[in-house]
Amino acid sequence: MQLFKTPNIRFLKYKYIALTVTAVIVLAGVLNITVFKGLKLGVDFGEGTLLRVMMKAPSSEGDIRDLLQAVGLGRSQVQKTGTTNREFQIRALESAGSGGTAEEQLEAHEALADKIIAALRGDAAAAERARGLVDLNAIDEKTLTNLLETSFPGSGPEAARGILAFRNQSGIIAGFEELAGVGLKPEVLTFLKEKTYLGSLTVLSRETVGPQVGADLRRKAVQATVWSLLGMLVYIALRFKLEYGVAAIFTLAQDVLVTMSLYSFTNREINLPIIAGILTIVGFSTNDTIVIFDRVRENQKLLRGKPLEEVMNVSLNQTLSRTIITSGTVFLTVGSLFLFGGEVINDFAFLMLLGTIEGVYSTIYLSCPVVLFWQKWFKPKKAGRR
Amino acid sequence: MKKNLQWKVVLALAVVGLAIFLAYPYDDAKVKRGLDLKGGISLVLKVITDDSINMETDQEIARLEELLKKNSITFEKVTKEGLGRIAVQGVLADQEGKTRDLFDEYTRDWDYTFTGNRANLTLKPLVAQFLRDQSVIQAKETIDNRINTYGVAEPVIQRQGTDQIVVELPGVDDPDRVKELIKVTAVLEWKLVKAGPAADEATLLQPYNGVVPDDAEVLKGDPKRGQGGFYLVDKVATVTGKDLRTIRRVTDEWNAPAVSFTLNSDGGARFEQVTGANVGKQIAIILDQKVQSAPVVEDRISRAQGGIIRGRFTPEEADDLIIVLKAGALPAGIRYLEERTIGPSLGADSVRQGFLAGLVAVVAVMAFMVFFYNLSGLNAVIALILNVVILFGALAYFKAALTLPGIAGIILAIGMAVDANVLIFERIKEELALGKGVASAITQGFSRAFTAIFDSNLTTIISAVFLFQFGTGPIRGYAVTLTISLVANLFTAVFISHLLFDLTVKKSAKKLSI
Repeated sequence: MQLFKTPNIRFLKYKYIALTVTAVIVLAGVLNITVFKGLKLGVDFGEGTLLRVMMKAPSSEGDIRDLLQAVGLGRSQVQKTGTTNREFQIRALESAGSGGTAEEQLEAHEALADKIIAALRGDAAAAERARGLVDLNAIDEKTLTNLLETSFPGSGPEAARGILAFRNQSGIIAGFEELAGVGLKPEVLTFLKEKTYLGSLTVLSRETVGPQVGADLRRKAVQATVWSLLGMLVYIALRFKLEYGVAAIFTLAQDVLVTMSLYSFTNREINLPIIAGILTIVGFSTNDTIVIFDRVRENQKLLRGKPLEEVMNVSLNQTLSRTIITSGTVFLTVGSLFLFGGEVINDFAFLMLLGTIEGVYSTIYLSCPVVLFWQKWFKPKKAGRR
Repeated sequence: MKKNLQWKVVLALAVVGLAIFLAYPYDDAKVKRGLDLKGGISLVLKVITDDSINMETDQEIARLEELLKKNSITFEKVTKEGLGRIAVQGVLADQEGKTRDLFDEYTRDWDYTFTGNRANLTLKPLVAQFLRDQSVIQAKETIDNRINTYGVAEPVIQRQGTDQIVVELPGVDDPDRVKELIKVTAVLEWKLVKAGPAADEATLLQPYNGVVPDDAEVLKGDPKRGQGGFYLVDKVATVTGKDLRTIRRVTDEWNAPAVSFTLNSDGGARFEQVTGANVGKQIAIILDQKVQSAPVVEDRISRAQGGIIRGRFTPEEADDLIIVLKAGALPAGIRYLEERTIGPSLGADSVRQGFLAGLVAVVAVMAFMVFFYNLSGLNAVIALILNVVILFGALAYFKAALTLPGIAGIILAIGMAVDANVLIFERIKEELALGKGVASAITQGFSRAFTAIFDSNLTTIISAVFLFQFGTGPIRGYAVTLTISLVANLFTAVFISHLLFDLTVKKSAKKLSI
């Protein structure tokens, strides 16, 4: 099967238009990042607490914000995740007291998270606790085992494990009747109904990053990226020519800038997995760039005397079906991650979707033009030969 | 079959066989899942290395006082001037030489200068560095011991940078308890009580005219143990946690959890003597400068007898106290810099959905390849499967954990593996279009496409190596899986795929299914 018989598209004819489009996107993005909205730093690079909770009853972002408002935490960001109306992500934004040592700040963040959880659990939970009941949706395995052992010596560990396995599977226990499937003895269930209550939420995850680590992670992520770019520059410069290495780096810088710019408009947060995503985009784009450069290198020998721009056009056309097939398969992969990958991976997959399109574009309309311009400026042919 | 080809088959089978051997049967123990996929607690903590310098300074002051007195050098006082800085004040001018000689001989870890009748001592930077380093190493060991005694399967406890320690505890679901367990310094002391408990310091010190006696100190009761208030206790401990021989959880006569202990012979002898001489008085049991309980000594406690620590413990608290006492005290304080708790259900969810997504992606890509390239596509599919097999074999071998960013690395690598095949196949098509025979088109296709595949893979490997070198946890996980799969990629997409063509396509073939 053949995608194109003999394509002959004059890609580089449109290089000025493309460069303008790129410049506009990057400029808009940079303005958006620096002047307007700014990049939303995730808890990894920012600092603060990120909570993911699952509610017993379906709720809404508004309802949760109201609950938090009532205890003076109205500024917290609340975001629904998943499709069940029961999972929410909350980033505490109330300044946790900016003074104090790093540890005090970390503890302040933690206290804030505790306050949020308490607010969401509500007064009912406090009343139940006051009666001496424990929350079956928050209890850990050892404590539950101990509790069961007091009344059912010998069968505590197994029952506790069963209950927690069920809770872990479904995220939260919505009603005691759900435990029927766990295989508990009726008397154990009765005991649980007497001694425990079902709290209105479970904490799926809770991440707190202190200011020192936030700054540290930021610095290291930048450092790692810069060094790996330099490494690539040197290798490409050695294997091809300096201008190709420079062009590749320009392309990568553009990849990063454009994806970050587009990302900045979407209101999603930057965290460590997102950095991995950006690096992956950079990886694909480099791969693309090198495949084309490799073809140009080969064609320069075959098509001696032809201007470089034409050689590039020929190479781009020759590799066109490969470019489309490869990006297509990557798009398939990332698309399935985006659709089925679940909430944790969703931001990452979204970024990759943007990136795969952008990567192809940048190879054609940035790496090649940069090489062309470089040769025009630094190696005027006639002057060199004289 | 050509001899050359036979060796290639052997090599391919050997590599794939080894990978299968390493990764089969595939389970959690073989390729560990990272905390983000499995659930658990991850803590980054900082060792307050200043504490070790402080402690060294205090000990040096005590040593100096003794040393100077023993050599009958007159001085006014020895004072602490700061971290690793001591001043000996009021040294007589005619004794300066003798003092210098003593310093030269006995305080080699310290630099000193004299200004007038005052000697200034500074801890040598290299020694300070060594002490700081040691405190981090010891803290790591202590935490290691505590976590192991507490019982966590496959904990990761690593040093990071100069003074940080990363603790990763998969599957642990009660972060507060673990945090406390790690953080307590766990210095246990028994000290005789001079007065107390009193509601406040003023009342406590009334008999002493409001002044703390030289040989005593004021300590607070631990409010958690229900014994608040203030105590005036001896400065010098009768016995400490270091004198413990055995320690275990018991229930006391009121059926409450308590901790019983016995002492080693040295500590036992001191305990016997002190309790014998102080019948009817209180002896305070102090943990990290907080009085846990202050029972009255009812009789001389013989050295073999040991004792019991009570204090309204919950069973968990009693267990944790035993753990920290057994594991020993921390050499320096620690502070938490970062805490992450990933609940098991979120991790399980991520895995389930990630698996589904991965499966859909792989099936879609494979279907596409077969649809587009027919039998040659099947060849690519086999190469792709082997790539993943080798990856998991390598992950199992290097004991690397699979994390979310790690999966990103695998996606990139699989994408590049598919690309390698596409590059080759498109090239073969081009060669066929130029009218070349099947065999020569295959050879040409592989060798022409090779430079592009090699350069792009190597460039990415180079960047991954730098990411590994300079990156932190998640970024490193990404770099590891990426590097492994790219190396596997060069092997499967180029070597094995070519081999499959050689084995299945006859030299004289007129048509190629591509």
